[in-house]
Amino acid sequence: MIKKYIQRFYLLFIIILLYAPIITLMALSFNSSKSRARWGGFTAKWYVRLFQDDQIMTALYTTLEIALLSALIATVLGTAGAIGIHALRRKYRTFMMGVTNIPMLNADIVTGISLMLLFIAFRFSLGFSTILIAHITFNLPYVILSVMPRLKQTNISTYEAALDLGASPLYAFFKVVFPDILPGVSSGFLLAFTMSLDDFVITHFTKGPGVDTLSTKIYSEVRKGIRPEIYALSTIMFLSVLLLLILVNIAPDEKEDRKRILSAATVKRHKISRFLLRKVVPAAMVVIITIGGIFYSTKADRLGGANQVIVYNWGEYLDPAAIELFEEETGIDVVYEEYETNEIMYPKIQSGAIAYDVVCPSDYMIERMIENDLLAEINFDNVPNIKNIGDVYMEQSRQFDPNNKYSVPYLWGTVGILYNKTMVDEPIDSWSVLWDEKYKDSILMQDSVRDAFGVALKYLGYSLNSTDLDELTAAQKLLIEQKPLVQAYVVDQVRDKMIGNEAAIGVIYSGEAIYTQLENPDLEYVIPKEGSNIWIDSLVIPKNAKHKENAEAFINFVCRPEIAKMNFDFITYSIPNEGGRALIEEPELRNSKIAFPDAKELERCETFKFLGDENDAVYNKLWREVKSR
Amino acid sequence: MSNKLIDIVNVSKSFGENLVLNDLNLYIRENEFLTLLGPSGCGKTTLLRILGGFESPNEGKVIFDGKDITDLAPNKRQLNTVFQKYALFPNMTIAENIAFGLKIKGKSNTYIEDKIHYALKLVNLDGFNERMPDSLSGGQQQRIAIARAIVNEPKVLLLDEPLGALDLKLRQDMQYELIRLKNELGITFVYVTHDQEEALTMSDTIVVMNQGNIQQIGTPEDIYNEPQNAFVADFIGESNIFSAIMVEDKLVKIQGVKFPCVDTGFGKNKPVDAVIRPEDVDLVKPKKGLMQGIVTSLIFKGVHYEMDVMANGYEWLVHSTDMFPVGTEVGIRVDPFDIQIMKKPESEDAEAVSIEE
Ligand SMILES: Nc1ncnc2c1ncn2[C@@H]1O[C@H](COP(=O)(O)OP(=O)(O)OP(=O)(O)O)[C@@H](O)[C@H]1O
Ligand SMILES: [Mg+2]
Repeated sequence: MIKKYIQRFYLLFIIILLYAPIITLMALSFNSSKSRARWGGFTAKWYVRLFQDDQIMTALYTTLEIALLSALIATVLGTAGAIGIHALRRKYRTFMMGVTNIPMLNADIVTGISLMLLFIAFRFSLGFSTILIAHITFNLPYVILSVMPRLKQTNISTYEAALDLGASPLYAFFKVVFPDILPGVSSGFLLAFTMSLDDFVITHFTKGPGVDTLSTKIYSEVRKGIRPEIYALSTIMFLSVLLLLILVNIAPDEKEDRKRILSAATVKRHKISRFLLRKVVPAAMVVIITIGGIFYSTKADRLGGANQVIVYNWGEYLDPAAIELFEEETGIDVVYEEYETNEIMYPKIQSGAIAYDVVCPSDYMIERMIENDLLAEINFDNVPNIKNIGDVYMEQSRQFDPNNKYSVPYLWGTVGILYNKTMVDEPIDSWSVLWDEKYKDSILMQDSVRDAFGVALKYLGYSLNSTDLDELTAAQKLLIEQKPLVQAYVVDQVRDKMIGNEAAIGVIYSGEAIYTQLENPDLEYVIPKEGSNIWIDSLVIPKNAKHKENAEAFINFVCRPEIAKMNFDFITYSIPNEGGRALIEEPELRNSKIAFPDAKELERCETFKFLGDENDAVYNKLWREVKSR
Repeated sequence: MSNKLIDIVNVSKSFGENLVLNDLNLYIRENEFLTLLGPSGCGKTTLLRILGGFESPNEGKVIFDGKDITDLAPNKRQLNTVFQKYALFPNMTIAENIAFGLKIKGKSNTYIEDKIHYALKLVNLDGFNERMPDSLSGGQQQRIAIARAIVNEPKVLLLDEPLGALDLKLRQDMQYELIRLKNELGITFVYVTHDQEEALTMSDTIVVMNQGNIQQIGTPEDIYNEPQNAFVADFIGESNIFSAIMVEDKLVKIQGVKFPCVDTGFGKNKPVDAVIRPEDVDLVKPKKGLMQGIVTSLIFKGVHYEMDVMANGYEWLVHSTDMFPVGTEVGIRVDPFDIQIMKKPESEDAEAVSIEE
């Protein structure tokens, strides 16, 4: 009796474990609040918006298109390959199977990078076709692997019997061998399809500007937080897969039906599901492929145009409407691609795989790119709107671009403390609050080396670019001391947790802070008096840009007050554009101390610098020690 | 039954080191029922596959109706095969299986329907049209394989142990049917079997093979009554085979005792093999025999008794309708024309087997 209960309980536990995440996601897709931490009532608006969102729909199409095409081509090639391998002598067959299996065991990142290098070596321009080729490549072994066992089971003499009865080799293959290995072929196809849908890493390295699959698209949005539309999309995808699986399972072979005696109703049900599975699903696939194909042929025309500018920007960093406006005005096509961290962007620029025209790196990365001679000097005659950028920002930029020759400040922000007024006793103005026993377990720290050490170093009165080992050890000691007080080390959950009143104090970026304040008026942001980090993301032009003048036109356009203001509305990060700031309608935003702190406060702030690999290693080592205590 | 339909000329085949067919020469006449007989692994299936076009010989050629077909693709050959492992198409119904060849030839639907009906009736599987192959027993599958080949009315039908999985009664029925087919349709049969009785009853010609060599070609009577070497004698039916000395024409010394015989031309005092069929050994009173022995075992076999008789250090196998209990002393006699004298084998292969036995 008890055993039975334990069994049931255990099963239930497993099911909950497996499905809790997806159910959470489905629930959130109906949450009218943007926050993950708060239930704002039921809504279907994300579903509506999903279908109105051009970018997501494009990414979805691309994903399906690539998954279907690559799975299809890999299935054809892989099946042919498996047949070839099967016909080999045993010795060679084992060898060939080994050779085809190895790529499957290879880490994705190795496959991705080597494919990228190969494409660059052969001067393939990265884009849709390179993703497709890459996906076909990594899908092939899966197809071979699932077709091979079926081939081994297949009685070769049936093929010979067909020839014997007068069938041509091709006819014999399709009539006799193929139906026999079909289960292997279709499971190979499905496997390839899912592998392709799933893939992020390889796509990431082999994609070019302007092409995004869902995974790369979603990832590029991580910085701003994943939009609820994506939850809606994931829910739809999950349900589609579920539906497909159910269909597959209730549609047994006709063959099976023939062997058993079934009621008419069951036979009819089987017939319907077979019809769905064999006719409707493939038909739907064909429709998607053709529509996608047409869609892409029109898009490819655009990509081919010479009068274009290729922009490589952070995810969700520019209002799409601004791009449209620019295209209308100038007739220049904008090919827009997004990245998610400086470290991902950098190797792409350095390798020269793609000639980007405008990129938007952060301060320390700009310094590094200048050092490595990757940037072109901007001709400011073509960027008269530079006058709109506040002097204070141009001055701050000198920390990484000493002569203001290479970069135009685009967005900026500070790091500070976000606190809940109702949960603290006194106004906060110092990093010391992060070490206050009173707030044990309601402190949120940034989970990244430089941010964490920056806080400690500033608190101690040092530079946040310190490379002095004594200073760093002191900072480390402080961080270790702080550990018991910290509720969690997080990156982008600070926002949600603070909105949801889950913590009293958190270290956060100012751009996030503005947004949190809109959602939860109890929250307040402060740049501690000891000083903090100011970050600036600036527009630069890589040296190998092919459309430098278009790039300058684009930068000039973005520096226009109206455009800067439009972008502020879109992203609510601080803009360095004084003219743009003046246009902001809401006084509480225009005069927000979070978005636009006094110049005096900024004087206490420093940008991060690139400290060199050795110092990076020291930082990382010290941070690991903190985390592992 | 006159002109050569298939001529196999100097055909050799090896798989790697393994020589499977050794310089084979054989012709098959129109409307002949030719049986390949031999122990497992002797190359029967390989020879059939060369005829069907599934293997190509390393040397030699295959002539069909005057044309060299050695390199012709299987689907272009006017012959059909019934495979040793049935090879039915698992994804098709029985009817679809049978119709396969006819559809390729573009026959009309009614013609195909008729043929399916006819063929199923022929193999005693009426009404199996819509069944799937893997729902049939081994014997049923094999009969379908035969039906599938026959409906194409090929000039030559190659059958690789087609009746192996059938029970005795069914096998006899099918044997009868196959012979009827051959006579009615004028099909030439090349038939492979292990079963010497089957070979003897059905064939016009039997080819006895061993380790890739042809040992003897002849009518069933020839093969049975006048085996050309110890291997054939041993393989066909049961025999007493002796290493003997041909003293002179018409006199052979077996186990130290001289027996009169009818063979001549072996020379004087030459070592030969002598074969005596068990039913040709006459057991008589000890005094009347050329040789004396003692009965060591006795088994009742239905039509006759089978006895072992120990005489001069050799255990004779004897079939007789008379019964001699174990321990009885008997005399042995053999009529001169019942002793078959054969040259000692020259080929190593044949030797190897005779020593093994
Ligand atoms: N494809 C092949 N590769 C290597 N060796 C083979 C191949 N086919 C047959 N052989 C070898 O050739 C020899 C003859 O085989 P074959 O199938 O012709 O024998 P068989 O006379 O039909 O025997 P059985 O009566 O058992 O069917 C065997 O030793 C077998 O192992
Ligand atoms: Mg065989």
